[in-house]
Amino acid sequence: MANATTDAASDTSTLAIPVHVSYIQKLGESQDDLMYHLTSHLRLNAVYWGLTALCVMKHKEALEREQLIEFVMSCWDEKAGAFGAHPRHDAHILPTLSGIQILVMLDALDRLDAERVISFIFSLQSPTGSFSGDRFGETDTRFCYCAVSALSLLGVLDRLDKDRVVGYIRRCKNFDGGYGSDVGGESHASQVFTCVGALAILDRLDEVDSETLAWWLSERQLPNGGLNGRPEKLEDVCYSFWVLSSLSILRKMTWIDGSALERFILSAQDMEAGGIADRPGDMPDVWHTLFGVAGLSLLGYPGLEDLDPVYCMPTDVIERRGLRKAWLALPRREM
Amino acid sequence: MATETPPPPVLYADREEWRDITPLEQSDLENPLVPIFYPIEYKDAMDYFRGIVATKEHTDRVLELTEHIIRMNPAHYSVWQYRYSTLLALCSPEYLTKELDLMDELCLKFMKYYQVWSHRKLLLLLPESPSSTSGPNPLAHIIPTPSQELTYLSRVLATDAKNYHTWAYRQWVLTHYGDTHPGIWEYELIATDILIEDDVRNNSAWHHRFFICFASGAQNGVEERELAFVKSKISLSPNNLSAWNYLRGILDKLKIRYAELQTFVELYSGPRVGNRNEDEDEVEVYDLDNPRPSSNADLPCALAIEFLADIHEQEGDNEKAINVRALTSFDAFIPF
Repeated sequence: MANATTDAASDTSTLAIPVHVSYIQKLGESQDDLMYHLTSHLRLNAVYWGLTALCVMKHKEALEREQLIEFVMSCWDEKAGAFGAHPRHDAHILPTLSGIQILVMLDALDRLDAERVISFIFSLQSPTGSFSGDRFGETDTRFCYCAVSALSLLGVLDRLDKDRVVGYIRRCKNFDGGYGSDVGGESHASQVFTCVGALAILDRLDEVDSETLAWWLSERQLPNGGLNGRPEKLEDVCYSFWVLSSLSILRKMTWIDGSALERFILSAQDMEAGGIADRPGDMPDVWHTLFGVAGLSLLGYPGLEDLDPVYCMPTDVIERRGLRKAWLALPRREM
Repeated sequence: MATETPPPPVLYADREEWRDITPLEQSDLENPLVPIFYPIEYKDAMDYFRGIVATKEHTDRVLELTEHIIRMNPAHYSVWQYRYSTLLALCSPEYLTKELDLMDELCLKFMKYYQVWSHRKLLLLLPESPSSTSGPNPLAHIIPTPSQELTYLSRVLATDAKNYHTWAYRQWVLTHYGDTHPGIWEYELIATDILIEDDVRNNSAWHHRFFICFASGAQNGVEERELAFVKSKISLSPNNLSAWNYLRGILDKLKIRYAELQTFVELYSGPRVGNRNEDEDEVEVYDLDNPRPSSNADLPCALAIEFLADIHEQEGDNEKAINVRALTSFDAFIPF
């Protein structure tokens, strides 16, 4: 994909919004059928990634609202009272959060049987304060974040025993200030986001070793400007979000070189087919497209909508629900 | 994603022994937003999967079918869940033995997928489930011992020493069995020795070592040993973030002032100290407390300079800290 020449078509110095919008719209028509159906277990999540990316690029209207809502509701698992990733898939907390996020962004939360979803979420909590993804019990701090975020978006955070959850997150904190997937797990940028994000929602950022963690996060930046997820691993565009959002929540975004990161994200664009990849030259996908534009938004890239790093949703949506926390992004630059 | 697909087999639709099942197609919902395309083999298998889910079947052929789908799509969590339910229904030592053998293969092959490790964990926990019948659980002697499990994990990590899920699973094994099998901690410590020897920058191995020595409660009074260990590794390769984080971790945990290491750090924060004169007969004694940088270490070391700045900051001298930090090639602006 990446062309060594300096053709206009491969000039990645700016964000090619029109091709990315079109890329997201065409996702459902993908001719790459094997990959498409192999990711059915992520479908509802993918719709959330696509919609959020469109919102950030100020093209929310590019996907039809009623169709989106209809798809979300088709993923409802009537037995469990929550969402699966695809029609007829079992309910799981990951697509459940995605479903709620989409309905909130489309102002259609009334379509949801909120009490059933709330019951489902609480059914996944263990006495230790951790959350499982589904009734089979896999524990991961990702699910803790999903539960806290979902309950917060549904306006029922008060029903949660916050101290218990905070206690669990505290046990997941490592000697380097970072957080892992469970107690004893190695610090990893995506798990750092889930824990810091959950603590932000719970108003318990006092639990974080801010200086130590921010330093660990800033060390994720590599000479090529990209960010990795833990020491000695490769850079990946998705860390532009996990690391940046955490730094934004800790109000220390200036601890990394924003211009270098911006250049890196932009260089991972596919200027012809649209979309952003994990790193320059690789195939794009909707996950990296979202986290690429999300990172750019937090970096103040001109022409984008503001994004709330705690919820990874547009700030106006979050502010309207009274959920905005004291995070700090870089100021939006003029065109 | 799985890169291998098996050679095109006979479709379930054409197999006599599956004739009694009504295959169910993907949801009828016509939604242009997310239309479905399937290569015929996957579609066929999934149609039959939906068919047996609808009839709630839990038999041998369901194991065959779900294994087939898993090999094409290891991330499909619903299929894993149904397979587990089927194993519960069949519930016998013979099935569990076969499943454990299969998981030895699949965890190695698909280690990047959460699902293989979740499934493996569920199998290990089977003898402990409350649904066990009266008397000693016949499944208890089938599952691997913690030692066997850790040996297997070493094998997996030999192919990818940093795989996150494997390490997370390893930490779970220690957390779950460590109290009743105290011998495994020593094995694990040696395992980290070997991995760090292999690649001194393996952050996962350093993290695991900290977990064993300081976070698990399994070892006591190992500070001296570990301080000597980390310093020796820093002397070998000073530009190693994992080692400096480990050092900081020990000091923070034991509430030791960073300044106590100033002599050691200053060996690394400036240009090489004390030129080795080849004419001299002096034999350099290895100083355990302050091991010198190895001959091919790259000095000055930015991480050592950072540490020096932290020392000054901790001692309350912010101005000195800022001056020291300016010595690094840090472009980032760090406000105080």
